Amino acid sequence: MNEETLIGLFVSVIEFGTLLYLAALGETIAEKSGVLNLGVEGMIAVGGMSAYWVGVETGNPWLAALFAALAVAAFASLHGLVAVVLGADQVVSGLALTILGLGLAAFLGKDLVLQPPGATFGDLEIPGLSSIPWLGDTIFSMSAMSWLAAALGVIAWLVLSRTRAGLSLRAVGESAATADAAGTRVVGIRLMAVAIGGAFAGLAGAYLTLKLAPGWNEGAVGGLGWIAVALVIFGAWKPGRVLLGALLFGGLLALGPRLQTFRCRGEVGEGTCLSYEINPIIVSMLPYLLTIGVLVLISIRSRNRPSVAPAAIGLAYRREER
Amino acid sequence: MFGFTLVRREQQIRGGQALAFAVGFVLAMIIGAVLLLVAGHDPVSIYAKMADKSIGSPQAWSTTLTQAVPLGLAGLAVAVAGSMGLWNIGAEGQIIAGAIAGSWVARLGPDLPGPMLITLMLVASVVGGGLLALGPALARAHLGVNEIISTLMLNEVAIRIVRYLVNGPWKDPTATGFPVAPELPEQAELPTLFERANIGVLIAGVVLLAFGFFAARSKWGYELRVAGSSAKTAEYVGISLKAKILTVLVLSGAIAGLAGGIRLGSASRIVEGIAEGWGFAGIIVAALALMRPANVVLVAIAFGAVRVGGVAIKGEGVPASIADIIQALILLGALGAAVFTSYTLTRRGAAS
Repeated sequence: MNEETLIGLFVSVIEFGTLLYLAALGETIAEKSGVLNLGVEGMIAVGGMSAYWVGVETGNPWLAALFAALAVAAFASLHGLVAVVLGADQVVSGLALTILGLGLAAFLGKDLVLQPPGATFGDLEIPGLSSIPWLGDTIFSMSAMSWLAAALGVIAWLVLSRTRAGLSLRAVGESAATADAAGTRVVGIRLMAVAIGGAFAGLAGAYLTLKLAPGWNEGAVGGLGWIAVALVIFGAWKPGRVLLGALLFGGLLALGPRLQTFRCRGEVGEGTCLSYEINPIIVSMLPYLLTIGVLVLISIRSRNRPSVAPAAIGLAYRREER
Repeated sequence: MFGFTLVRREQQIRGGQALAFAVGFVLAMIIGAVLLLVAGHDPVSIYAKMADKSIGSPQAWSTTLTQAVPLGLAGLAVAVAGSMGLWNIGAEGQIIAGAIAGSWVARLGPDLPGPMLITLMLVASVVGGGLLALGPALARAHLGVNEIISTLMLNEVAIRIVRYLVNGPWKDPTATGFPVAPELPEQAELPTLFERANIGVLIAGVVLLAFGFFAARSKWGYELRVAGSSAKTAEYVGISLKAKILTVLVLSGAIAGLAGGIRLGSASRIVEGIAEGWGFAGIIVAALALMRPANVVLVAIAFGAVRVGGVAIKGEGVPASIADIIQALILLGALGAAVFTSYTLTRRGAAS
């Protein structure tokens, strides 16, 4: 393993981490308000397809990302309408959103499959800093979208923990009836949280098709959305911890296809050789298995303590039933 | 919102769910037609072709019923768990696990006579599906781990296990193109029932009817519904919640596994996409059927027809994903409409 492959690995970790963080941060905001949205996989697909389309049409990646964010915010609001306004089951409505999103993206993006990308996000090399060894080639050369993801994370953390709006959102997610009694507009806040979650998933989709793997096909998302859902739990609904999780899971995703390169070569001493082959497909299962492991740990730990999950998650709120 | 508010009706509308389904269906057809128009197709002729290929002839019906088998079994799997208030989102993975277990048996005993081999394959698939659900079931029963997420995550694990198998240990060295496993022995194929349908239709039908009857009439089914509506009541009357959760979730996985076994016996070999989204569609089916096995049959046949229709119009240049879009829209429309069977929209202020 040399410096070049290691830097390549770190770059890939940041890329997967950026996508996962954008989507998981959006889901965190929605879940904090008490709305579970299992539509992330479908939302990323819609975002990725629509961003790719705008990219092909206009050649401007930022316009494409903006369009994807708005389109998916609108698309996610379908879940808002059905699960929040009408109060239908969140699990079913969210899964329907995933199936609908994957279907719509495949249907509408049919002609984009063979199109070369019209726009991609370039690397943002920060003058001066980008010549620092290691950091320069990784963090200080990463795409502006990665900086945006980091900034959104800080903003989300500040708003959720330090502002009145954030307090209201968390109150709605803990006990909608109490928040309502205190004069908070439960439905409005939840709708907003779901739409913001959608916008973030839209950005994740744009990042997927305009940077991580430029191109569009109907299998493009390939389970990344489910990892984002898992990350929210992994990160205990906290923007900071979700970031750590995104980098960890991003690391696993980046590592998988590279394991072949790490295998023993002639010049490496016998003692340091991996004598067995690690299959990349097996490694790609780890994020999902890790999440189950973390869920089990959380459950064991929280037996004598209050749960870290928002208390009202998954529960519809209708004022009459107060 | 907008000066209107939802108020609970004195009485639920009778036959409300059928009505909601109809509303969802009409809504899905309208939006589907708009999408087809935008894509430059004639919706009327496309819909006519979909109907013709799915319900227009005995052969069409045989393909629709064949599609309804995994949909119905996956729907039943979700419904069995759902009648106790549990969510099995892992039917997709359990179908795969069932198919893997079935192929494993077929690989072990390629020279067994057909009936014996098929029986063993199906039994193995039931065990395989149940095994994949065992972990989430144990975790839910004993530690209270959320089964929605754990079963959901195992889907992705199962998808990767089958990917690993057909790319690695089970790869057919003679196959070109997509990596696939070698073909199963000829006698492993399920015997034909009529036209293109095989006895899988019969097996699934019997399982669904048996559960419908059992869930409605037996003590077990009653206890399930009690436990689903109130955990406290259940414990008070001496129903062991832990045992119930465990058996119900494993049973749910086993039923989905059977769907995988039947698909394997119809497909001749295991491939990466063996589950074809049936597990996820099964959740929609169960939700529309209000978790009742008898309704699952009807919804599964309706969805089977939509999926067959979706595949049939590929020749016209319409992506088969239109079928997924229609199914999801039916559900979203019906979910929304179902609310109005118990609620009515009233101007704010007028209600109180």
